[in-house]
Amino acid sequence: MRPLPQEDFAPAPRPASAGLNILVVGVGGQGVLMISKALALMAQRRGFAVKQSEVHGMAKRGGIVFSHVRFAEQVWSPTIARGEADMLIALEWAEALRWLDHLRPGRGVFIADTRKIVPPFACRSRKLGAPSAYARETPADVVGRHADGCALDATGIATALGDSRAANTVLLGRLSAWLDYPVAEWHEVIAAIVPKGTREINRAAFDAGRAWTPPAPDEAPAASAAAAVAPGPDLRIGVSIDAAWCKGCGICVKLCPERCLAMDGPKAIVRTPAACTGCRVCEWLCPDFAVTVRNEGVPA
Amino acid sequence: MTTLTALHGNHACALAAIAAGCRFFAGYPITPSSEIAEHLSHAMPKVGGTFVQMEDEIASIAAVIGASLGGLRAMTATSGPGFSLMQENIGYAAMVEAPCVIVDVMRGGPSTGMPTRPAQGDVMQARFGSHGDRPVVALAPASVQEIYTETIRAFDLAERLRTPVTVLYDQVIAQLLESVAVPAPSAVRVRERKWANGASGWEPYAADDDGVPAMARPGDGHRVHTTGLTHAESGFPTQAPPVVDRMMRRLLGKIDVNRALIEKHETLAAEDAEVLIVAYGITARAARRAVTTLRETGVKAGLFRPITLWPFPEAALARLAGRARAVLVPEMNAGQLVLEIQRIVGHTPPVRPLTRIDGEPIAPDEITAAVRELAVHA
Amino acid sequence: MLDATPKTTCDQKAPFDPREWLRLAAMPHFMCPGCGHGIALRALLAAVHDCGIAKDDLAVVCGIGCSGRVGGYIDANTMHTTHGRPLAFATGLKLARPDLTVVVVTGDGDCLAIGGNHLIHAARRNLDITCLMLNNEVYGMTGGQASPTTAATRVTSTTQSGAIEPTFDACALAAAAGAGFVGREVTRQAPALKTLIARALRHKGFAFVEVMSDCTEIYGRKNDLGEAPEMILSQKADMRPEQHRDAPDQPFRPNALPTGVFVERDLPEYGERLRAHAAAIRGEITP
Ligand SMILES: Cc1ncc(C[n+]2csc(CCOP(=O)(O)OP(=O)(O)O)c2C)c(N)n1
Ligand code: SF4
Ligand code: SF4
Ligand code: SF4
Ligand SMILES: [Mg+2]
Repeated sequence: MRPLPQEDFAPAPRPASAGLNILVVGVGGQGVLMISKALALMAQRRGFAVKQSEVHGMAKRGGIVFSHVRFAEQVWSPTIARGEADMLIALEWAEALRWLDHLRPGRGVFIADTRKIVPPFACRSRKLGAPSAYARETPADVVGRHADGCALDATGIATALGDSRAANTVLLGRLSAWLDYPVAEWHEVIAAIVPKGTREINRAAFDAGRAWTPPAPDEAPAASAAAAVAPGPDLRIGVSIDAAWCKGCGICVKLCPERCLAMDGPKAIVRTPAACTGCRVCEWLCPDFAVTVRNEGVPA
Repeated sequence: MTTLTALHGNHACALAAIAAGCRFFAGYPITPSSEIAEHLSHAMPKVGGTFVQMEDEIASIAAVIGASLGGLRAMTATSGPGFSLMQENIGYAAMVEAPCVIVDVMRGGPSTGMPTRPAQGDVMQARFGSHGDRPVVALAPASVQEIYTETIRAFDLAERLRTPVTVLYDQVIAQLLESVAVPAPSAVRVRERKWANGASGWEPYAADDDGVPAMARPGDGHRVHTTGLTHAESGFPTQAPPVVDRMMRRLLGKIDVNRALIEKHETLAAEDAEVLIVAYGITARAARRAVTTLRETGVKAGLFRPITLWPFPEAALARLAGRARAVLVPEMNAGQLVLEIQRIVGHTPPVRPLTRIDGEPIAPDEITAAVRELAVHA
Repeated sequence: MLDATPKTTCDQKAPFDPREWLRLAAMPHFMCPGCGHGIALRALLAAVHDCGIAKDDLAVVCGIGCSGRVGGYIDANTMHTTHGRPLAFATGLKLARPDLTVVVVTGDGDCLAIGGNHLIHAARRNLDITCLMLNNEVYGMTGGQASPTTAATRVTSTTQSGAIEPTFDACALAAAAGAGFVGREVTRQAPALKTLIARALRHKGFAFVEVMSDCTEIYGRKNDLGEAPEMILSQKADMRPEQHRDAPDQPFRPNALPTGVFVERDLPEYGERLRAHAAAIRGEITP
């Protein structure tokens, strides 16, 4: 499969009997189900029989969510067997890799957000700056080698448009380039399923995804921000943050009375160690035991 | 020294529990099992054990499992409605491998049914009552004497295999007074649970060849995590398919590996029987009488009486059934164990149910008549 | 005979280091960024340390839910039981092993909905168990459905246009059912929460502590309560004046719940009673 020409959507429509198996994967809270719902509606409008099955029980962030969308003249099984997905849409990089074997060998289309959501359990070592168990394959390793498709920074694109949560719609836009369905109809379906206030941004996100072109090879997305730790001066009082355990909730940053801490990408860091009074607010309130305050004056 | 005493079934059960070293009982009153709790409320404190009446059967089995994880031999007793409530936690006990004994004195069902009438309607609930696949051991005594010995055996199996064991009997034997040979305490043998001994490399769910892992006691320094989530040898949750498969097959396989230890049955004139009766519990007593009568009149009837219902002693039955022309399964339900017998025996010889669901025990005459008919037609 | 004396103690004078109490191999824990349950876990560990309880003699019994997963990270004897039943499991464990310090960690759904019956009976019976109910006003684990503490008008996945059912006041419930110790604290006041838990641990008999926790990822998002810092700051915004630290007073939440210690009374502890009763039956003592 090759993407259809971007501007012209008249060419040879896929025969009505040719259905598709599309696998949408991600982690909780990313909008996997929105994509599969849009696909299902588009397919339904074409008179296909549609089956969609999903797992989204443990909706916690970090829990895996996937959705199988199958449509054809007749569909029996609700799930897509390994090696039988025509398209794999992944909202998160490690999930993309995990499901890769479900694509049709050599023929499947692979569309993924390069954004990484490092699950807590990927942190295997407590040592500061230790390597994580998160998948090491890069987009370049995958695209081209395994399948037709693309890896794009959908979250980045959505953020630039004003709301990172529209990353799923960017990917949907990208996916639409492989399907000869009229743009207007996509817009209509998306408007119908997203919350009212977000129609504009979702429309823009869709268009941006659809129009996306691969960057020149040397501007491939950079690796995720390395954990940054700036230990305080070695006094009686000091605060340190274990990046391997920090989940970036921001509590310590916002609650430190002296504003010693700051967010650096997805993690908190110590910005002005000298200002720390050793009050321990950050230590008490970090839900992840990532902050350690040394204060020989104040009992723990 | 063995002493002969006349006991009610439920009383025998309570005494056997004490003799087996049971030191924790939690329960909730329900006819026709309440006498077990009543006896133990007094007997338990005397031997330094604990009796507690909980707020319901869910809490009762939970407390029993809690005590078992604390290191005690523990038991609860109930009847159908309470047994239904306990199912989720029985599955938990099987999953975390907490030994415990559940006595279910069966009464007429479904629902409140006939609280004071006997039935054998919980046979399949004992097998399949909890969701998912789990190791199942259920024993079905047929006399007060056997309630005594099988309750002790239930503790032995539970402790040895680290699994819940159900003792199933019915209202008739529960409240029947019979003489029982009570063995001297020194003659009662319940093997000690396999305890973790602090050896390095020990893991809470790494089993030996018998499929049973050694257990840690809180306070012994092992600091184990116990969870009903599918767990690895370490005790911590996992969903990795190969590990789950390994752990679950080991858990279920524990029963197969130890079949010889668990299976128990008795036969009467079964070797040359043309019509083989398979009966358990109170019904087996009627069947025994029927066999005697039938033999006297020249009908070659025999009895196969499973004492262990689950796992069913299938090899022994298959051998005997293979020689018979028909198999009859009388039971006080709409036909439960007969399904298992049909599975084991297949189509030849034919397996026929004889059911009774009106709260009355099956009489010898009914069995005799059914056997005669089968002897002619089969 | 059952012996109620703990065998060992930990050095409560040494500074508290949570890493000594956590199962490091399991860390970081599975809770979402900003989840209040993590803060409650730290407060619990600090309180256990303060009380000088040794890991080997500590048993933490949990139910099912995000709250139920808290115990698994504690390097002690931990039991992750079935939904709603941890108090019943703990009752068996504590009766069998009076030498253990038994702590139950449960959720608002676990403790008040499916396990409500066990709560009132545990309070009535007054066995020496410390029960920590992490109240995030929602079923976190299953994706954010309404619980018996979901405040009116709050949006959850089963109250999409706002909750309409009245809520339980868990502390009033526990107190009415007979609990000897009842208190409530917000995670924002983590040091006060630690002190409250330590007091509950030292109390002989059933002690109930309600921890007002934040479900940031689901409840917070659904109800536009802001990110984790905003959620925890809003706990403070509505707090009582500082001088009333330990007294029930100002409301701080839409459902107007006070904090502090509400009940602290000496009642006969069930385990002791039971053992004395048994000794009397054996004729060892006169009742
Ligand atoms: C018998 C049973 N019913 C339902 C469930 C599903 N379930 C798991 S956790 C949960 C709710 C947990 O809510 P809460 O106790 O408030 O804990 P939280 O996740 O909010 O910390 C439910 C309903 C279950 N595990 N068992
Ligand atoms: S100890 Fe107090 S002053 Fe220091 S970083 Fe933490 S919150 Fe800020
Ligand atoms: S409170 Fe803890 S987890 Fe949250 S940002 Fe700070 S260090 Fe990270
Ligand atoms: S779902 Fe809610 S309660 Fe559960 S871990 Fe996430 S934030 Fe905490
Ligand atoms: Mg909750």
